[in-house]
Amino acid sequence: MQAHVGRTALVAAAGLVLVIWSTFGPFLVSAGPYHWSVTLTNASINLGFGLLWVAVLAVAVHRDPGGRMWKLLLLYLAAQGHWVLGYVQTDWTWTASQLFGPLPAAILLHLVLGFPDGRLRDRFDRWLVGLVYVIAVPLQVLGFLVWDPAWVGCGPTDWCPANVLLVVRNDDLYFLVGRVGLLSPVLALLAIAETIRHWRQAAPAARRALAPVALGMPLVFLQLGIWFLAPALDRDDIRVFILENKVFDLPSYLTPSLFLIGVVRSRLARGAIADLAVELGRGVPLGGLRAALTRTLRDPTLELAFAAPDGAGLVDPDGRPFVVGDAPGRAVTRLEREGELLAVVVHDAALERDDAALLRAAASVAGLALENERLQAQVRAQLEEVRASRQRIVEAGDAERRRVERDLHDGAQQRLVALAMRLDAARGTTIEAQALIDAATAELGVAIGEVRRLARGLHPTILSERGLRAAIEALAERTPIPVEVEADAARYPATVEATAYFVVAEALTNVARYAEASHAAVRLAADHRDLTVEVRDDGRGGADPGRGTGLRGLSDRVAAIGGTLQVDSPSGGGTVLRARLPLEAAAS
Amino acid sequence: MTRIVLADDAILLREALAAGLRTAGFEVVGQAAEVEGLLRLVDAELPDVVVVDVRMPPTHTTEGLEAARAIRSHHPRTAVLVLSQYVETRYAVDLIRDDAAGVGYLLKDRVTKLDDLADAVRRVAAGGSVIDPEVVARLLGRPRRHSPLDELTPREREILGLMAEGRSNQGIADALVLELKTIEGHVRQIFSKLDLEPSAEDHRRVLAVLRYLKPD
Repeated sequence: MQAHVGRTALVAAAGLVLVIWSTFGPFLVSAGPYHWSVTLTNASINLGFGLLWVAVLAVAVHRDPGGRMWKLLLLYLAAQGHWVLGYVQTDWTWTASQLFGPLPAAILLHLVLGFPDGRLRDRFDRWLVGLVYVIAVPLQVLGFLVWDPAWVGCGPTDWCPANVLLVVRNDDLYFLVGRVGLLSPVLALLAIAETIRHWRQAAPAARRALAPVALGMPLVFLQLGIWFLAPALDRDDIRVFILENKVFDLPSYLTPSLFLIGVVRSRLARGAIADLAVELGRGVPLGGLRAALTRTLRDPTLELAFAAPDGAGLVDPDGRPFVVGDAPGRAVTRLEREGELLAVVVHDAALERDDAALLRAAASVAGLALENERLQAQVRAQLEEVRASRQRIVEAGDAERRRVERDLHDGAQQRLVALAMRLDAARGTTIEAQALIDAATAELGVAIGEVRRLARGLHPTILSERGLRAAIEALAERTPIPVEVEADAARYPATVEATAYFVVAEALTNVARYAEASHAAVRLAADHRDLTVEVRDDGRGGADPGRGTGLRGLSDRVAAIGGTLQVDSPSGGGTVLRARLPLEAAAS
Repeated sequence: MTRIVLADDAILLREALAAGLRTAGFEVVGQAAEVEGLLRLVDAELPDVVVVDVRMPPTHTTEGLEAARAIRSHHPRTAVLVLSQYVETRYAVDLIRDDAAGVGYLLKDRVTKLDDLADAVRRVAAGGSVIDPEVVARLLGRPRRHSPLDELTPREREILGLMAEGRSNQGIADALVLELKTIEGHVRQIFSKLDLEPSAEDHRRVLAVLRYLKPD
């Protein structure tokens, strides 16, 4: 940024020096006498016009330091000062001052046709500008090779300059070269036509910048056409008239003014990029991106297609395959991040030509938004995958618990019962064995009870068979304090029921163990989205969900199916545990 | 001789049960491993008692309960004793509530004491009701806020429990080694404290007590 400002200042300062040189130069290098038009008043007025040019230069270098515009402008300002060299009394400088007479006009044409970025748009422009340069330089040099300025006589300071380029005097050839000035009106008309054509063919955004130039430059070209036509017609009085009436010095003040207005208007268009960034920052649905780009680039024909998720080809915002055509007048801008194609924008080719910078900025902002959108989608997909996998793990765990419960009931327990029956049948065979058998039977009874409790803890049959309310009522019966159950007999997805059941079981276990409560209540409430499980006690509170594996594990288990667990347990104020379990995700 | 049909999908246990029941003096006229076979057997044999495991194929959850209901509604003269692995009061109460006469819910552990099993079979065969003592203990032991049950003396609680198990006054007297008249006095007292209508028939009394203990 610092370097940027520094460069702008440096270039502007160089421009200012050139402007001062081309206005007050004669007073600096010569004591006079001066041409009748070289007065302090005229110099001051010209300096004022020059400042307009410096402003254009500063804006150009600031906006596009890598571009051509400011270099052309600097060249133009340098060429503008050619005539001052006539006051430096050497043959070389004098020759140069005469030689470069038409050069500023040629550069001006280049500037106007290249506005606003200094690049010529098409072959005809290059041809036209090239022709004018040929007339302004090689042809001019050719004339100088044969021109003996002896007839000019001595200069204003009694100094007689000589054409240093003169090889051999040939007045006929020189005259012929001079007649090229007759082409001036034609060239001026062509320049006018081109300026207007540029404006008409420009993309809407670029039109804002080109409109003032298209509107005003015809006048300037008209003036230039007349200015260069005059000598060819031997009508020097026209030039005198123009020099005497500064208002007709259109190139000096109208051109920079038009440039300035155009640049300001194009900056306004550039503000649309900021709007675009803000809009996309808020998150625009992919379909909305096209509309946003259309607004920003003012190209209603704009099309947008995204790289297909599977990496094969392009799809439009509705997901249909998209093929980039090669219709004339259409251009494609690729939106890429880190070398990877995100999307393509197919737009009016004029955009690329007229406002490449705007297009680049819009593409960059849109690319950023797309990248952001893509990363978000990736994170969402990953989260969803993790959530789904957690749920699958929980479901697999539940299924495994049911399987083990079944194995215990139908395997170990049956065998133990059968064994106990055999033992019982053996009773009374011998008196000695009696006590032993009784003890073994009692042990077996304990083992059978333990297996039963173990199996029930793994997965209570009543839960899958009768549902949540019956299972929770059975839990309440097993809790050593009164537990009220408020629920209806509705059924929910198995994972939700199992999770709710384990929440209540763990909560009631905690109540019985730690809460010193006299009473607890379990409430189930469901809407179309969630099942809410609430366990409330009137104990001493102070339960910390962060400590102990019980609540922590519950929290994980609830989160695994996308639910939330909330524990409110002020010290001395009882405990409320509330789990919200989504019904939707679990069903998928 | 009391004719019995036996249903359990665990062959080992079923055979052991059959042997035990025969030893206890019952006639085992058929055995089934799943519900459909059981229902066919019952239709064919019209046994006095069906002893059925609560867990049977295909889901191994409570097929036995459904089978019991089906048998009771098609063959009112056939009593059903469900052997269950679950100490769930809900299952017991629901089974008895439909039709208390000739229905029993006994924990499977109980079959290891042949005498207890034979006693339960005889009681349901005689049109009585049987509820496993552990299930009754859970019903009675369930904590309550301000319940008239608190008014009962320990002896009265004990007698209430035996009533809930489906025992007759005589059965209770035998179990507690008390005079029949004493038991009758306690029973009147209990019914009055709990504000229940006294009932002559045992199975109606079971219903009244269960309804009291597990209202719905």
